[in-house]
Amino acid sequence: MADPQTTTDSNSTPPGAPVPRPSRAQAFRETLSELTRLDGVRGGLIVTPDGLVITSELPPRFPVEALAALAATLGRELELGATRLERGAFKTALFSADDGTVFVGGSPVGYVTLVADRNVNNEGVRTALGRAVDRLRGTWRTPTP
Amino acid sequence: MGLATFLERTWSGITGLVKPRSASSLFRLADQYRHEGRYEDAAELITEGLRVSPNIAVGHLLDAYLHVVFREMPAAKASFRRVLGLDPYHPRALFGLARIALEEGDIEGCRPFLDRAIQYFPDFPEAKALQEMVATWTAPAPGASTAIGTISAERLRLPPGAQDLVLTRADGTLVFAQGSEERQKHLGLHMTQVYRIASATLARAGLGAMRRGVIEGAAETTFLRSDGGVILGVALAREVEVGAGLVQVGRLWTDLNIKA
Repeated sequence: MADPQTTTDSNSTPPGAPVPRPSRAQAFRETLSELTRLDGVRGGLIVTPDGLVITSELPPRFPVEALAALAATLGRELELGATRLERGAFKTALFSADDGTVFVGGSPVGYVTLVADRNVNNEGVRTALGRAVDRLRGTWRTPTP
Repeated sequence: MGLATFLERTWSGITGLVKPRSASSLFRLADQYRHEGRYEDAAELITEGLRVSPNIAVGHLLDAYLHVVFREMPAAKASFRRVLGLDPYHPRALFGLARIALEEGDIEGCRPFLDRAIQYFPDFPEAKALQEMVATWTAPAPGASTAIGTISAERLRLPPGAQDLVLTRADGTLVFAQGSEERQKHLGLHMTQVYRIASATLARAGLGAMRRGVIEGAAETTFLRSDGGVILGVALAREVEVGAGLVQVGRLWTDLNIKA
């Protein structure tokens, strides 16, 4: 379902609006693109806590919107559990099934979710995802120029 | 350039600078910024837009979204409710309230929001995904028993530094947990919810039922194992590698002689 708002053209800045700044979206796209090139990773998406898909690289058959809603819900539960159990912020998580694995990276900006094959190198992807999440945390702390 | 043209352009420039922006243009731009991850800029525009036109549902909806992004859930809830005050059938506001109810652990409160959102807007895959997920969640049966024998802490090969050992049923029945009563409650609820949502996510991706999980926190890493009937979790030192941690939780699984 599309958001109820209409998307706008980047040239439609009204007079007096904040001067356009480089968006974080480019950093998100680059981060996801690097991760989806890892061996065994089929694709992924970055979704904000409210469920907005910032960027996705999933094969066409994947139900992006449904997956985004579930990934955002899972990311929030992981965050809330870490807080309630006083474990500090959750960084990464992986959940494996018979036919593959889902990885989730948590950051203030949102959640990086990767869908991977069964025989993926869990440790390798987790390490790469951890680095990516650290970069995303950096984009949140650093005010946009 | 003639004097008249010069004066006209100057006047036009001045009036352009002071011309009030319409709320709808502010909200459109705010939504664009939101899609670009420019939340601070979006928040400024939404505040201004709502000051100009406080009764536009989309402004309150965008306000709610940003509160969620900033994890300000009570404020998000209030903004979603303002949207419904203006448009009682707004599917996105209903969905937003459903998600907040879900993370508050209010499953019964979540269902009507999802049902209403889909009733008024049947083509809503996000709401359908959550509706299908919560439909499978059952409450613990009264007096539910487990097929797990008596937990004998001495029998368990607990790795050094292991903590927060927890065993729950998929319906949320807590079988065993370490720590205070309050912590046991939080552990049981959290493990159950993580298992349920992760299982739904894996299933939606076409990968099957969740068998194992690893959650890396700031101080420790939690390892999970499940057979669909029960969920076993234990927190180990953060630096434990995935493979080694899963072996450890596998040993505990064997020690507990779990037969779901």
